[in-house]
Amino acid sequence: MNKQKNTFLKLMIPAFAGVLLLSACSSQRQNIDSADGSTTGKGSDTTAGDSKTGTIGAGGASSAKNTGNNGGSNNGQSNYDYRSGAQGGSQGRVDDSDITPAGLNDPNNLLSQRIIYFDYNKSTIRPEYMVILNTHAKLLAKYPNLKARLEGHADERGSREYNVALSEERARSVKRLMGTKGARGAQMTILGYGEELPVVTGHNKKSWQKNRRVEIKYKNY
Amino acid sequence: MNFTTHLLTVNKIIKPFILFVIAIMLSSTTYAELELTISKNTDAGIPIAIMPISGGASGIIEADLKRSGRLNIVSASKITGLSPFGGSIQSDKYKDITDYIVRGKQGADGSLEIELISTSDNASSRYSISKNTNPRRVAHKAADEIYEKITRIKGAFDTRLAYVVVTNKTSANRKFRLYVSDSDGHAPQVVLTSRLPIISPAWSPNGQEIAYVSFENESSAIYTQNIFTGQKRLISSREGLNGAPAWSPNGAYLAMSLSINGNSEIYTMNIKTGQLKQLTHSKAIDTEPSWASANSIIFTSDRGGAPQIYRIPASGGSAKRITFDGRYNSGADAANNKMAFITRRGRGFNVAISSIGGSDKSVLSNGRLDESPSISPNGAMVAYITMRDGQNTLAVVSDTGRAKQFLTSPAGDVREPAWSPYLR
Repeated sequence: MNKQKNTFLKLMIPAFAGVLLLSACSSQRQNIDSADGSTTGKGSDTTAGDSKTGTIGAGGASSAKNTGNNGGSNNGQSNYDYRSGAQGGSQGRVDDSDITPAGLNDPNNLLSQRIIYFDYNKSTIRPEYMVILNTHAKLLAKYPNLKARLEGHADERGSREYNVALSEERARSVKRLMGTKGARGAQMTILGYGEELPVVTGHNKKSWQKNRRVEIKYKNY
Repeated sequence: MNFTTHLLTVNKIIKPFILFVIAIMLSSTTYAELELTISKNTDAGIPIAIMPISGGASGIIEADLKRSGRLNIVSASKITGLSPFGGSIQSDKYKDITDYIVRGKQGADGSLEIELISTSDNASSRYSISKNTNPRRVAHKAADEIYEKITRIKGAFDTRLAYVVVTNKTSANRKFRLYVSDSDGHAPQVVLTSRLPIISPAWSPNGQEIAYVSFENESSAIYTQNIFTGQKRLISSREGLNGAPAWSPNGAYLAMSLSINGNSEIYTMNIKTGQLKQLTHSKAIDTEPSWASANSIIFTSDRGGAPQIYRIPASGGSAKRITFDGRYNSGADAANNKMAFITRRGRGFNVAISSIGGSDKSVLSNGRLDESPSISPNGAMVAYITMRDGQNTLAVVSDTGRAKQFLTSPAGDVREPAWSPYLR
């Protein structure tokens, strides 16, 4: 399973990079920071759970014991097979017949762009992402059984819980916008990860820009 | 007689074996031992000499007092001809060398007798510290007594730190581990391991439980966990954000941030009944509550356009802004009428300390991306995270800014220290 996924990704990366190059040449106004051509390849690889609980011996004797299930219902396996697709930023061609779940994994389809980026300390949607978000909203409107999770992230600067709230605010902005474009509220859940799951770990402007993002992940796609 | 001899022989054979087993057990955990890398100290501070105490307590006491930034350690080798513990004192001959001399004696059972001598008036104070299953705590308690006698500030060396260590932070094998160690970084122990983020550890006022936020089910949830029994309890996994838990001083309430009503707001929860009370009602982000007293909470809000620190009665009411200096102030942690917080200066984020009202601000750190300050229960030291050689490192600085220590974990990034309350 995983191996297949990896092979799939390996094939996807050059293909996608090529598309990005082409589209970057053809579109007039691009956000440089986000059109970097890298894919994250993360998302569904992360399994939930697998937590261990330990204790402090009264006198400092160590005993890390596994208490098994930690109040959670799904240790070991993720609830959903949510995947983040390609990064946003470049514009693709799309007409209504292209708006299908299959398009989510077609690098030539705008729907494959599932990451959008934010300004420092802001949760407002940049104008260049409106088309992408509209397209995702249309997809959700067209397929009422489809479910998306909007995962917000922040860069590493500032305090962690503020960043969690800020990243949730970013996800909420995306949800709100897509809601006005036909997606139903019940189709979208939001989650703020703060600065905990960076895509890149550099401590500079370029890295920070890549980490200030919302990833649109679809259940089963 | 014969039986005793026999026992002794067995002891001789078994003891090395037991020691060997203990050594193996220790070596398997030491990978996560925090390493003291650099210690910056100025010579400012009240001079004090700690005479050697067999058993090693003197070294621990010395290191503690050094970290305080208020005392300056004078080499014990400069004190010659001093009678041993319990002997007569003619301390006036040392008064040009040091203000205070400490001498002590370890009891056979692990207890400790300490004598603090003031060289200016030949006065001495004696303290008996009873044994503890963690022998280092005995020395920390002694340091607490000495520190309080000299500075009139209650000592906080006999405390603990909780912190998170992240390994493989960009790979799928990423692991988040919640640790608890002594306040000087010794004796670290893992209390929780997860593949998804663990953030915002916070101590209960009795020092037995830690509240934290876990993302282990791909949503945020607040848990509490008893560090001695491992017993875990789900506090909140409401829709949206469940974050920033903070225990009230009496242990009956947890303040937290929840977004059930549309965006992040501050709530208090009665831990026994689960009853929630919403304290803030703004369209902005309100988070990171910390109890400034039994009836007052400080928190971060960007209602003014950028993150600043506000204060609100714990029973609800109107919030008042308390930080005005700079465009970004957040993440405040309060203790003993002081607060440590993050402040943005130019391009950098640093740790500052001030009164709860916001006055007497002084910046304690000079890194580029300093974060997660946690203040010791006496308000005299701050633990925080700073970047050193590309790795997140735990730093401990005195409120005077004079003494600073860096503790790195060879295992990975250290994050979010939380200073325990006074231990019992």
